[in-house]
This record gives sequence, C-alpha cells and structure tokens, in this order.
Amino acid sequence: MAKFITRRLAHAVLVIIAATFLIYLGLFVLGDPFASSGEKTVPPEIQEALREKFGMNQPFFMQYLTYLQNMFTFDFGIDFEQRRDVGDMLAAAVPATARLAVIAILIEIVIGLTAGVIAAVSQYTFRDVFITIITTLGIGIPVFVIGIGLRAGLSGEWIFPAVPRSFTVETPWWQEIILPAFTLAILDAAFIARLMRGSMLEVLRADYVRTARAKGLSERKVIGKHAFRNSVIPVVTYTGVSLGVLLGGALITETIFEYQGLGFLLVRAIQQHNNPVIVPIVVFAVLTFVVLSTLVDILYAYLDPRIRLH
Amino acid sequence: MTTPPQSGREPDTHVPAEALMTRFEAPEPGAADATDTTGKGKKASGQLRDIWRRYKRNKLAVVGLVVVAFLMILAILQPWITPYDPMEQNLLNTRKPPSDGHWFGTDVLGRDMFSAIIYGVRLAMIVGWSVMFLSLIVGLALGAVAGFRGGALDSLIMRVTDIVLAFPALIGAILVVQIFGNGIWQVVIALAILSWPTAARLMRGSTLSLRESEYVEAARSIGASDTRIVTRHILPNAIAPTLIYSFSHIGVAVVAMASLAFLGIGVPPDIPEWGTMIANAVPSLNVEGESHMWVFPSLAIVVTTLAFAFVADGLRDSIDPKLR
Repeated sequence: MAKFITRRLAHAVLVIIAATFLIYLGLFVLGDPFASSGEKTVPPEIQEALREKFGMNQPFFMQYLTYLQNMFTFDFGIDFEQRRDVGDMLAAAVPATARLAVIAILIEIVIGLTAGVIAAVSQYTFRDVFITIITTLGIGIPVFVIGIGLRAGLSGEWIFPAVPRSFTVETPWWQEIILPAFTLAILDAAFIARLMRGSMLEVLRADYVRTARAKGLSERKVIGKHAFRNSVIPVVTYTGVSLGVLLGGALITETIFEYQGLGFLLVRAIQQHNNPVIVPIVVFAVLTFVVLSTLVDILYAYLDPRIRLH
Repeated sequence: MTTPPQSGREPDTHVPAEALMTRFEAPEPGAADATDTTGKGKKASGQLRDIWRRYKRNKLAVVGLVVVAFLMILAILQPWITPYDPMEQNLLNTRKPPSDGHWFGTDVLGRDMFSAIIYGVRLAMIVGWSVMFLSLIVGLALGAVAGFRGGALDSLIMRVTDIVLAFPALIGAILVVQIFGNGIWQVVIALAILSWPTAARLMRGSTLSLRESEYVEAARSIGASDTRIVTRHILPNAIAPTLIYSFSHIGVAVVAMASLAFLGIGVPPDIPEWGTMIANAVPSLNVEGESHMWVFPSLAIVVTTLAFAFVADGLRDSIDPKLR
C-alpha cells in the first residue's frame, strides 16, 4: 500500500508540474497584454516601462520560476485591470466556490442515491422507468440550458434573489446559493442515480444478499445494510472526482447566476486578458482536480485491494 | 452506463460472443472492404445486419437516429432552406416574438431566429463531426502504437494523456482557444486536443488485450509486418470501444462549443451559434414576451444532444454488447 501511495503521489506531482508549465507557457505565448489593441494605443516607452514593472522583460524561464516561487508564498501579484491584489481577489472567491461545491455535492448525493436505490429495488416497474427517463434527461440536457431555464423561471421570485443582484438589498448566502447549487447538482445527481442503480443491481444478485434474505433478515436490512454499503463504492469515487471539478470553479453556472466565485472571476479575467488572475485560478483548478483524483485512487485501492496490484 | 428500458435485456443468444470478438467490422463500408480477403465481405454484411437488428430493438436509439439524420439534412440544405440570411440585421425589427414572417421571432439585432437556428445546426454538425474524426484518428493511431509497441513510447504517450486529462474540460478548452485565438476551427482543434486522450487510452487498452492473442501470433508467425498486424488484425477488432466513445463525444463537443460561445470565448460573436444566441438573450431573460430568444436555441441544443446520446447508447448496446 505504501508503495502504491508513493507512486501515485509522484505521478500527481509530475502531472501538476507539467500542467503549470503548460499553463504559463500557453498564457505567455498568448501575447503581450501591454501591446496596443483595438481602441487602446500604448506608446512604446510606456509599454517598455510596464513590462519592466511587471517583470515581463525577463526571459521566459526566469518568469516561470519567479512565478512558481511567488505562488508558493501566496503572492499572486496585481491584476492588470484595476490594480487589485490577486491574492485578495482569490481569498474572496475561493470560499464562495467551495461553499457552492459542497452544497451541490450534498444535494446530488441525497437525490442521486435515493433515486438510484429506488430504481434498483423496483427494477422494471413504473418507478424505475420514470427514474431512468429523468436521469437520461438530466444527463442529456446541458448544464447551461438548465441554468438559463432556472434563472428565467425562478430568479426574482419567492426566496430566489434576482439576477443581476440589486445593490440595495442584502441577500443571505443560502438564498444566493440555492439555484446555482441545484443547477450544478442535476447532472451529477443523474449520474450518481445511474451508477447506484447499476452497482446495486449487481450486488443484489450476489450470493451473500441471497444468504441474508435466506436467513430471514427484513428487506429493509438486506437493502440498507448488505446491499447498500457494498454498492456505494463507485459513487464515492465519482463524487470525489466531481468535487475536484467543482472546487476549481463552475464557470457556466457561476456566470449565469453572477455568483461571485472562482468561475465567474475566471470568465471575466479571460474576457479582459487579465493573465495574473487567469493563471492562479487555472492552476488552482488543476491542482484540486489532480489532488482529489489522487485521493480517490488511494481510497479506492484501500477499499479494494485488487487495484494495488496494477 | 445507460440502461434503455427494454433493449438488450434478453441475453444475446443469436450471436456467439466469439463472432464479435474475432472479427468486428467498422460500420463504414470502406473499412469492410479493407479487410475483405477470401469472401469475408459476406460475413461483414451479416454482422452489420446483426448490429442493425440489435440496434432496432432500442426504440429511443431509432428515434435518435431519425433526428440525427434530419439534423444532417438540415445542415446540408441550410443555404437553401433558411428564409432569411442568418447574418442579416434589421434594427427596426428587434426582439419581436414569433410571427408568420419570423417563425421563431427576431433577436437583439433583428436577425431572424429561425434562420439563425438552422445555421446553428450546420455549425454544430460541422464542429461535432470534425472533433469526432480528429480525436478518433489521433486516438486510434497513438493508442494503437502505445499498446502495440509498449516501452518508452507507451509511457510517453500515456504521460501526455495524463497531463491533458488533468485539466477540467472547459478550462482546458478555454486555454487552448486563448492560445490559438478565436474562430470555429480553433474551437474544433481545442475540443479535439481535449478528447483524443480518452480515445487513445481506450484504444491502447483493447490493443494490449489483443497483442498476445493467438491469431495475432499466427499472423506474426507467417511473417506479417507490424504495420500489417496493427492495421489489418488488431485495428478491426479493437476499434469498437474507441469508436463508440468518439461517437458519443459528438454531442459533448456540440455542448462544449455552445458553452464556450455562451461565455463569449472561441466562437466569433457575429456568427449565429446557439450558445451565443442564448448569451444575447440573457439581458431579457425575465422580460415578458421575449422568452423566444432563449427558448428556441435551448431547445435546439437539447434536441441535438439527446438525439446523439440516444444513438450512442444504441450503438454501444448493438455493436459491443460486452460493454454494457
């Protein structure tokens, strides 16, 4: 097990280093933020001064190393548009995104597991078919169509705040989070329901479930104790990876609901070519994704020893 | 993953599993011809018939196929069937609800929504299929080489796939578009770059499992070259999972392009694209009488992705029942 963990961690570190390098390379190649573009004309001497100020006149590798060094000390620099400290911007956005991610995951686990278990237990009945249809729609309809529909139909009504936010009315965070969280949760809830249904059906056919029934356990105990626990492993894996994606910022959903998280920040930064904001967010997204997938792999190997052999 | 209500529920007693195992023919007639030696073409057509028979059992898949065919026809005939030029603006006639003249109404710039949506079908088909072919070709080639050769080349290719797959999909696509600039083909390249690694891994997996099989050994023992073994013996048998993945990826590519366009990234803003149309409708989302501006493009996306998802499910169940 120790050997497996070491190998998996080394692998993760390698991927992260390569990815950060690619991100920096890509955004460096992207172009010079100080060049004249469109309506904006920048005189050459000012361009020179700006490059000097932001350290962009140094060789690329030096910039990359400096950047890595700064990132490890949580110094992300100053953004190009409004001269704010990028660290502060991230400090405001990360908790909002984390809150959204956790709530979305909770919703999808509750809905997905319930639907999956019901479908598996009542296989081929009306309930099963109904859940299958709903999950097919949930997976097939793109997230941003769901989000737009929810925003058009519900925002501004009842407890759901209007989008864009009114400046005069203070909205509690839980009201702001409901619609985006549901938007994010629908797709994954459908996936979890399907995964759960499939693995539960498999487990229900297993010998030990028949044994449990044969020795006279109530159906509730057979399902809740024997079948459920053994069929939930794929869902754990899926949820872990899904959390890794969501923590990196939900670009579409946050943009639709103008939710002040990492995704919304990233989208605006991209539209403004605001590299000092883009780079740390993308690095953070890759980092959380890789870290969580690695953790999930290790957890899986712990739960299922056969994996370690590969 | 999917379990369509009735189809494939009963075990496939008609087709012995080995028949699928030993000689899978790609559905394209060209591929069947390529492997046609001593009368095997006849067998291929028999197998296509088997696939079709199993496919037909899944009613949703048949509906999906009809819709996909319809979309393809729309895409091809678009220049002749759109009543207006999809780009033509009319600032005196903006945001009008559906009427006789404009079936789906007009948008913020007075463009005819019906024409724009049909144009969007053409765009979606071009991008979806292009992404599929690009990622399929690259994935098949690199996956087969990695699986067949093994060694350092295999490790290299697999590490590259690891790195690409470390990027959350949308963020990866955005980065690539940022590097290459805006444009439809740049979006196609970005989406292909992000989707080939999965195709390559699937192909590598099935190549690995076939590499040591007896018939490949037999081919090697009569002196067949590596190229011949890979293209004639391994490829036809190993292609199914990769092909199915790539096909199911068409819908994903369409949604990805619309998502990028919705965020104002990649697709030039003047091109009528579903995501762009929805983004343009955002300011009037809660305005009475202007819901046509987001409802019709949303419907177009949903119909397209569902149709492709149904076809992909049907294909998976019928081409390779083992995958279920």
